[in-house]
Amino acid sequence: MELFFQQLTNGLAIGGIYALIALGYTMVYGVLKLINFAHGDLFTLGAYIGFTLLTSFSLVGKMGPLPTLALYGLLIMGLVGVAGIVLERVAYRPLRSADRLAAVVSALGASIVISNSIMLIYGARFQVYPHHLLPDITLNMFGMKVPFLRMLMLVLSIVLMAILYLFVQKTRIGTAIRAVAIDHGAARLMGIDVNRIISIVFFIGPALGGAAGFMVGLYYGQLNFMMGWLYGLKAFIAAVIGGIGNIPGAMLGGLLLGVIEALGAAYISIAWKDAIAFFVLIIILIVRPTGILGERVADKI
Amino acid sequence: MKKKNYAIALVCILFFLSPLVFNAYWVDVLNNIGIYAILALSLNFILGDTGLFHMGHAAFYAVGAYTTAILNTMYHIPVIWLIPFSGLTAAIFGYLVARPIIHLRGDYLLIVTIGIVEIVRIALVNNIFGITGGSNGIFGISRPHIFGLVIRRPEQFFYYIWIFVAVSVYLFHRLRNSRFGRALNYIKEDEVAAEGTGVNISRYKLIAFVLGAFWAGMVGNIYASKMTIISPESFTFWESVVLFCIVILGGSGSINGVILGSFLLIGLPEIFREFAQARMLIFGLAMIVMMIFRPQGILPPPPRKYRIPSIN
Amino acid sequence: MKRLMLFVAAILMAFSSGTVFAKAPIKIGLMCPETGSWASEGQDMEKIVKLLAQDINKKGGVLGRRIEIIVEDDGGDPRTAALAANKLITRGIVAVIGTYGSSVTEATQNIYNEAKVIQIANGSTAIRLTEKGYKYFFRTCPRDDEQGKVAAKTIKHFGFKRVAILHDNTTYAKGLAEETRHDLEKAGGVKIVFFDALTPGERDYTTILTKLKSENPDVVFFTGYYPEAGLLLRQKKEMGWNVQFIGGDATNNPDLIKIAGVDAAKGFMFLSPPVPQDLDTPQAKAFLKAYVAKYHSYPSSVWAVLSGDALLAIVKAIRGTHSTDPDKLAYYLHYKLKDMPGLTGKISFDAKGDRVGDLYRVYKVDAKGHFVLLPRF
Repeated sequence: MELFFQQLTNGLAIGGIYALIALGYTMVYGVLKLINFAHGDLFTLGAYIGFTLLTSFSLVGKMGPLPTLALYGLLIMGLVGVAGIVLERVAYRPLRSADRLAAVVSALGASIVISNSIMLIYGARFQVYPHHLLPDITLNMFGMKVPFLRMLMLVLSIVLMAILYLFVQKTRIGTAIRAVAIDHGAARLMGIDVNRIISIVFFIGPALGGAAGFMVGLYYGQLNFMMGWLYGLKAFIAAVIGGIGNIPGAMLGGLLLGVIEALGAAYISIAWKDAIAFFVLIIILIVRPTGILGERVADKI
Repeated sequence: MKKKNYAIALVCILFFLSPLVFNAYWVDVLNNIGIYAILALSLNFILGDTGLFHMGHAAFYAVGAYTTAILNTMYHIPVIWLIPFSGLTAAIFGYLVARPIIHLRGDYLLIVTIGIVEIVRIALVNNIFGITGGSNGIFGISRPHIFGLVIRRPEQFFYYIWIFVAVSVYLFHRLRNSRFGRALNYIKEDEVAAEGTGVNISRYKLIAFVLGAFWAGMVGNIYASKMTIISPESFTFWESVVLFCIVILGGSGSINGVILGSFLLIGLPEIFREFAQARMLIFGLAMIVMMIFRPQGILPPPPRKYRIPSIN
Repeated sequence: MKRLMLFVAAILMAFSSGTVFAKAPIKIGLMCPETGSWASEGQDMEKIVKLLAQDINKKGGVLGRRIEIIVEDDGGDPRTAALAANKLITRGIVAVIGTYGSSVTEATQNIYNEAKVIQIANGSTAIRLTEKGYKYFFRTCPRDDEQGKVAAKTIKHFGFKRVAILHDNTTYAKGLAEETRHDLEKAGGVKIVFFDALTPGERDYTTILTKLKSENPDVVFFTGYYPEAGLLLRQKKEMGWNVQFIGGDATNNPDLIKIAGVDAAKGFMFLSPPVPQDLDTPQAKAFLKAYVAKYHSYPSSVWAVLSGDALLAIVKAIRGTHSTDPDKLAYYLHYKLKDMPGLTGKISFDAKGDRVGDLYRVYKVDAKGHFVLLPRF
């Protein structure tokens, strides 16, 4: 039983990261009905920017680890958010009126461009974050050993998600986002500047992805220009499981996927772990295509 | 009109003479283009003609290739005979896979097909049923024997592959203009209206999937006998992405467009070899630029024309 | 109409320009992964081979002729490699070095063999590559079965009784894992308590480590690559688990310490052919000095260094036979090349094309993060 709970906590921590990245997918899909295949690479970008900041301009000595990391975290979120806006302007906006699939191809092209640019700038070798920035404490919770940092990651993910949820539900901009997600035309009639809202969404989503990248870099330490590929795919599955276009759905989907993966690996087989995740995805799509928390999409007639 | 036809015929003849002019490397590039062209045509049938968002085509290709590989290496059945059989297994697989998902709406279908291709790849890597050789793949697949001639060198494969391309083009062209093809086009344009006029959309979509899978399975056979070894690395999600892009970039629904797309997407990275490490970066940029400047694809399908017999 | 003809003519010209030959320099091909997941290996291979070639040319070349290295990207995947091979054979090369990855190399074997081009692979350890009777194929890297034997011997030597084997489902790692398991079972006296694979490219292995821990092994033999090994070591330490890890030769890379951190990596053992830093031949020392001078770092991968040895073997064969005829070169490499001093030790090839010699040694990571060569046992 202890093994079960240990694996459960393992899964939740991974799930928090998936959830953060999934939020980006889900928000973009909500307003543009586009699957942003380049999102995983924005996550990678966040990790690499963090790497540059920590190795070239480290303020850790001057300000101590926690404030520095918090500052860098916000900085990274901002920078990756801007990258998201640029991406939208360059690769997606010109295709707004075109066939949906054209935007998908453009997204795939953007994904190649971003990941290969990172490779050309930083090199093909693995990069490693400086070690021991944060204390290596292990907590003892209910008889299990849980590294403090993993708990921190999970907590931070949930906090960020909660902030986002409140933002979308309670603020005017948030309401505008939800309106644009329902119908562009009607939103415009209500006086909402749809382009601006889309840009905002392309700031927030990637910013969260960038934050996830920074956390992954800090905790696992190891970076590679292809790392966004696998994380992106998993996060995408998470977003779909939870109901793509639905923010609490992305959070739930992420955590659920993390747990399914961990338990699947523990009790079925590690080698088949990813296949299990995809299989769950397919089952959910067949049985309940709109995802667990997805809204019922009205049929055309 | 006639002049244009002569020009096309001339280009085709010149093209079929190209192995005499080009060296083995470029002939092999053309072979690769040919293989992708047939694959893309089969995907085009599903994606372009019927409008089903399908990103898992590599799975059907893989099933065909592995069927050939396993039956050839275990039972020594000549590769040529296995062509229709590979198509058949791929078609059956396509049917089993498509049956539960055929009613899904566009984007969800896309996502499911991505999941399918990944599951197939992982199953292959994990040596499912003990016959797929795991990540090593299967080696020692024999070459095709036609009436005693062994097809081995790039020049020989050129004719083998491109004759297949020509046959495929002809068949798909006929399909497109048949009653069946018109029904598919109807489904693509407006599903609800199609259903309203009595077209059984589930059945037609399923048949489209199965036919596309059948064709892809046959290409898998050709690929297996050309490379003589196959491994799961050749059947990743990325391969599906390349095929998908070929269809969309070339002109979804258009046979000419798809063939042109194959030339571009497979030929260009070879021309870009000069740029070594930046090769893929330039390729990605090219994709974005091509879509922005011509989102309907380079050669979109011409609108269907029907001659009304003179009224007199 | 006219434009179309011009267009066609231009394309025909562009494509056929590749057939022009040049005779004066001796052309040697290098097929390596410049892009794709193994880009770091390929780029290192290029650096090493080019540096060696430069050095040879400065000293007068081979048979009075310059060596020219022609590089083609194999992208780390079989299909691109086959295209690269086809491209190289049209460039008039005498021999080709490459590549990294058994299934990638395999896709090119019959192309080079039919074109009668000597192929020396540096990072392809699958046994079957030399079991096909390809006369022109050689490799400077050892085979999986040799490493498996040494792994089993090492595990028994240290007295481990409960053994866990972890691989990553790649051709190489799984092959090595299976060889080791086979040898251990044949030797008897040990129990294999765990045999499974992880997914490379992920970062979080706590699930797998937790599962491993529950089986209570004395030692974990990981046959995958160094990025995953580094993460495993680091996460294992976080869990507070002190089990001994042994790695295969793909874990040999200084970045392993970087990723795991010195504390976590301490005590880790791995198998590897000795790296140049540990060789005391003047050749290796001189090479290292020149490499560091030019590139400001040490070569990171021993596989890339093996590509340098491949070049040296080719050059020796050309000098030894005074020709570039493939049959003469092949004969020389199989039967006449004995104990050539290379960067990684003495090089000879057997009749199948495999490298002869007892290459594998055991390394241990000390408290400072340095790789220490353990004495033979």
